[in-house]
Parts: sequence; structure tokens; C-alpha cells
Amino acid sequence: MARVEFRKIVKRFGDIEVIPDMNLTIEDGEFVAVLGPSGCGKSTSLFLLAGIYLPSAGELLFDGHVVNEVEARDRNVGIVFQSYALYPHMTVRDNIRFPLRFKKTPREEALGRVGAAADLVQVGELLGRRPSELSGGQQQRVALARALVKEPQLLLLDEPLSNLDATLRLTMRTEIKSIQQKLGVTTVLVTHDQIEATTMADRIICMRDGRIEQVGTADDLYLRPGSLFIAGFIGSPPVNLIAGQAADGAVRVGRVAFPFNGTPGSVTIGLRPEHLRFAEAGLPGRITQTEPMGREILYVVETDLGHLRVLEHGASAAHAAGDPVKIGFSPDDSLVFNTATESLMTGARVHPPA
Amino acid sequence: MARQAVLTDFHPRRTAVDWDRMAARARSMRRAEAVALYAFLIAVSLPIILPYFWLVTIAFSAKAGVAETMVLWRSMLVLVPAVIAFWLAAMVARSRREAWLGMGAIALAAAIAFGLLVGPDLHLRNFIFLVEPDFASVVRSRVGAVRGAVQFPNVWHAFANSLLIAGAQTVSVVTVASLAAYYLSRWQFPGRAGMLRSLLVLHAFPVLTLVVPMFLMLYWIGLLDTLLGVILVLVAFELPFAIFIMKGFFDAVPWDIEMSALTDGASRRQAFLRVVLPQVRNGTLAICVFTFIRGWEEYIFVFTFLVRNTNWTMSLYMYYVRDDVMGVDYGVVSAVGVFYLVPSLILYVAAQRYLMQMSIGGVKG
Repeated sequence: MARVEFRKIVKRFGDIEVIPDMNLTIEDGEFVAVLGPSGCGKSTSLFLLAGIYLPSAGELLFDGHVVNEVEARDRNVGIVFQSYALYPHMTVRDNIRFPLRFKKTPREEALGRVGAAADLVQVGELLGRRPSELSGGQQQRVALARALVKEPQLLLLDEPLSNLDATLRLTMRTEIKSIQQKLGVTTVLVTHDQIEATTMADRIICMRDGRIEQVGTADDLYLRPGSLFIAGFIGSPPVNLIAGQAADGAVRVGRVAFPFNGTPGSVTIGLRPEHLRFAEAGLPGRITQTEPMGREILYVVETDLGHLRVLEHGASAAHAAGDPVKIGFSPDDSLVFNTATESLMTGARVHPPA
Repeated sequence: MARQAVLTDFHPRRTAVDWDRMAARARSMRRAEAVALYAFLIAVSLPIILPYFWLVTIAFSAKAGVAETMVLWRSMLVLVPAVIAFWLAAMVARSRREAWLGMGAIALAAAIAFGLLVGPDLHLRNFIFLVEPDFASVVRSRVGAVRGAVQFPNVWHAFANSLLIAGAQTVSVVTVASLAAYYLSRWQFPGRAGMLRSLLVLHAFPVLTLVVPMFLMLYWIGLLDTLLGVILVLVAFELPFAIFIMKGFFDAVPWDIEMSALTDGASRRQAFLRVVLPQVRNGTLAICVFTFIRGWEEYIFVFTFLVRNTNWTMSLYMYYVRDDVMGVDYGVVSAVGVFYLVPSLILYVAAQRYLMQMSIGGVKG
């Protein structure tokens, strides 16, 4: 169990600066998710923690001690790779036991711990098999057992669920979270999937182009996205973004005016599909498409501002394609961003057009 | 509605289709193609099989001083119909079991025919060289002229020399090649691309062109007429290609498992030995077999660099046997050939499974 701290960490590969300046503290026993699109430096930061990459500048601390120079094998970090990286020539038992061989754990104790780790992830019956004889989900469990058997002070998960089918992903999500809670091990999950991040982690670190864009809980990121990027990245179906000009107490987009309480300038309005509703008054439009999604129905509405997505609860469609509608929303749900800086204008609200 | 109208226009009426007739036609076409293919394969493989078959037949049947080819024609009389019968059995059989039964029957018939037609001529006297070092004199005495026979070393001595050269060469090549290839595959260093290119260029040199400078070099170093000298030269010539092949195998091993080993507490060397090396086992075995056979069949360098007859290898032994008793006794020459062939054959059969995988070239996960 460890408290991890990045202090002004820089990572360069040749001339390419993958991580320009990273400052972050992960508390002991915390489950954090590093979320971001591919190529944003999230895996690099994971490998920095594991000691596979060495930082180009800055300090990495475990429990207050600088570990920049400490070799990967001495860091006592468990890692589950996206490909699981099981050793193909070893049985499941030998795979899980592999980390213990270098700790000179006595045979009896090692086998006992292998059994316990295997039982924890429910692969106790598969110990004699080879990785090639396992399903994807089983391989994933073995990889998890191998990472846990050495009782790591830090557990790193690199997109662990991305190779599983949808149902299995759901089960493994719950299981990994409950194992983490049971063991209380500090865990870092790297993922590009917002659902994985929001469902599993206590705290989410949103990265973009090697920089930390926002750190917060799932609610923080969803309700108060710090930037346009995060508003667009978090939430499914994605947020409706409308660019306009704020002046004289209104945001004007073409002929439409949204009453507005903020400062003048170029702004972008963010309206989540689930916050929009069909109302008596509001923005007029015409439904062009309905997409039933089970408990909800997604409507695509053509308006003067372009196509907007509206998500309504209910299993059957109350409206059909071609129906004229008016779109309303609660001002408290609206998000307004400064278009130039892409950052959220705190406290700024828009009202539906009259 | 308009669209449907177009579709019905497209299929004006349904004609009855004779599916059975079409299936029968496809079946006979497939069969005819298979027959033609096998006929072709047999036609081209007979000239390849026949020399080996004859080599073995001569080794076990020829008599000193008798240039008799009748036994070869009789053995061919058994072999060719047998091969054709095998082919027919494979064609006619409707199930795997029928095919095995048919081939078994043909094999039995061929064995009996061989026993009757060739059997009476078979004997082991041509393998006299295995027990009698001075066999040349004995062979000559069979035809009357004893004088002038070459003094041959014990054949087992030559056998051991060959084994030593091929074995030492294999061990050195596999060790150096796997280490060098791993480094080339995993590390970036100045001159890496140039090194990879030069590996292939080195392999492109015809070795014969370097015989004279090599001879001078060994002479000055003092390794001329020693097995060590030949081993070093062979290793140098075999390494580039072996490194190149092994690099391909290492490239196919994913980084992930190596990184995983490092975080699991292994050092770089332990990760290489325990995790990476086992993934390239097939490549290592293939390199082993090919290098060993290359050393086993080596002729030019041993002929040039080795002089004393205690340093003779099997290829030199074979050469001098041919030189000395050819024209007197084809049987002994063939018998030496068979003896020389056996280790390669055993090795190939034993390693066949891995060699097949190498030609496909991947590392299976």
C-alpha cells in the first residue's frame, strides 16, 4: 500500500515530449482511473509508475521517497496488461508463481499463496492449464492473480477490460472493484472508456495531450466539466455543443437568442441530451430520427442551430419522425464555455429561447 | 411498390434446376483435378526418390568387382508399381480407413515382391569399413590387386571428428546468434540498420572465393590442419544468416511479456532466459538442425584446411573412399554414403515438427 506522488514529471522520447509536466498525488488505498483518448500519455504515465520508463525530469515518490532510480523489479508493483502478457510456455500455476520465484519465497508458502490468489479471482480449477487453453476472461483473471500474488504496494491496470465482450466486461468491472476494496491496494486504472472509469474509480484523472485536464469524481466531470474537451468526452450520447456570441444579456446563434447572465464574448453552450426535454415553449424543431435504446429513446431534432440530440425516458416513442417539437431545458443544467480558452464559465447559465 | 415490380421483372420465372446433376459434375471435376495433380507430383518425385532408393539398394547388394545393374532394375520394378498403386489407392478410397487398408495391403505386397526379387542379393559385406580400418586392402584382395591401397583411418574416428565439428559449430552459432539477435531486436544503438544490412551482404558472399585468404589466415594463426580452425571458419560463415533468422523470431515476441517479467521481479537477464528465450524455442531448434547439418555435410573447408588423416571428417573419408575403391567396388562407396546419410536423416525426422513451424515463421502464443 502506498501513497504515490508525481512531482513535475517530464517524459520525452527523443525529441517528442509525451508528458510535459505532470503533478499528481494518489492517496494510499485509493482507486484512480486515468482517462483519455489514445495517445494522450496515459499508458506512459503507467509505465513510469511501474519503472519500465524512467522520467526525463522531475521526481516520482512512493510514500514520500523518491523512486526515480529504483529498478522495476524492486518497486513491488503489480501490473495487468491489455494483452494480459501471460507467459505462454508456463502453466497457470507457474504464471501466478513467477513473481514469487524472485522473492525466494519457500515452495510451500509460494504454492499456498498461488492457490489463494487463484481462488480470489476464481481460477482455482485452471492451475494446470496453459494460457492458450483459456478464454479471454480466464486469461484476464490469471493476469490479475499474477499481479496480486506478490502483495503489491501498487496495482496498475492497463486497459484490462478492452479485450473482453460486453457482458464479461460488466462482471469483471464489479469483481475488480470488490477485490480492490477487499485488499485496499492503491490502484491505477488506465482506460479510454468513460464508463469503466466512472463505475470503478474513486477519482478520475482526465488526460489530454500529456496534460492532466481535470481531476475529480465522476459527478465532478459530468456535472462540472472544466473544459469543452471533457464535456465532449464524458457522457453518452455526447453533449450538444452550440457556438454563439454573447452580448446584451443573450447568446445569439443565428436568429436564435438564449437569455444569458454571463460576460460578453464568444461562448459555446453545452446541453446534454438527457437534460433536454420536449416542452410547450422553447427552441422549435422537427424530429428527423428516433433511436430506441431500451429504457430511453434518442431523438435527433433538426433546428435552426443544426441537429440536436434529445434523450427521453420511456420504452416506446411518444413522438415520430417528422413531428414538430419545441425543446426546453432547466437553466441549471446548462453549461457555458469560453470558446477561446475552452474553459467552463463558472456560474454562467443560459435560458431556453422564448 | 415500384421497387418490388422491378425485382419481379428481374426474376421472370423459376426454371427447374437439376441440383443432383450439378453436384455430380462438381464431384467428378474435383476428382479429375486430384488425379491430375497426384500424377504430376509422382512424375516429378520419382527422379528424386530413385537415387536414394538405388543408393541404399547398391549399398546392400553390390558385390566387389561385379558391375551388375540387374538388381537395380528389379528393385525399380517393385518401387514404381508400388508408388503408382499407392496413388491409385488414395484416389479410389472413399474413406480414410479404406485408404489406410489399401496402402497397407500394397506395402505388404511390395515388401514381399522386394523380398523375392531383390532379397537373395542382399548382404552386409559392403559395410566392412565399420569394423575393418584397412578395408581397402581387403576389398582389393577380393579382386586380386592389393598393392597401393590408401591407409584409411578408423571410420569411427572420422565420424567422431564430424560430430565434433558439427556439434561445436551448432553450439557456438546458436549461442552467439540468439544473444546477438536479441540485442538487435530489442535495443536501439548507432549503426544498427547498417549492421542488419551487412548481415545479409555477408551471407551473399560465395564462400569458395574466400578459401585462399582463409587458408593464409589459418596458417599464420597456426590453426591450419586443426579442427578448431575449421570450426571457427564455419561459425563465422553461418552466423550472419542465423542471426537474421533469430532476429525475426525475437521480433515476434511481444514486448508486453518482457515488461511483465521485469515488473514481476526479474532482471533483464532473467527475463531473457526465463520468458523470452522459451518463446523462440522453435527458431532455436531450427537453427540447431540447419547448422548441424551444414557442419555435417561440410566439404570445401575441411578438404582445404585439414591434411592429416586423423583429422578426416566423414565427407573427407567419403571422398577418399570414392577416390580409392571406386571402379573396384561401388558397393563399399554406397555403403559409406548410407552410413554418412543416417545421422542427418535421424535429425531431420526428429526435428521435422519444428522445422515445419519455422517455414511458417511465427511464434505461436
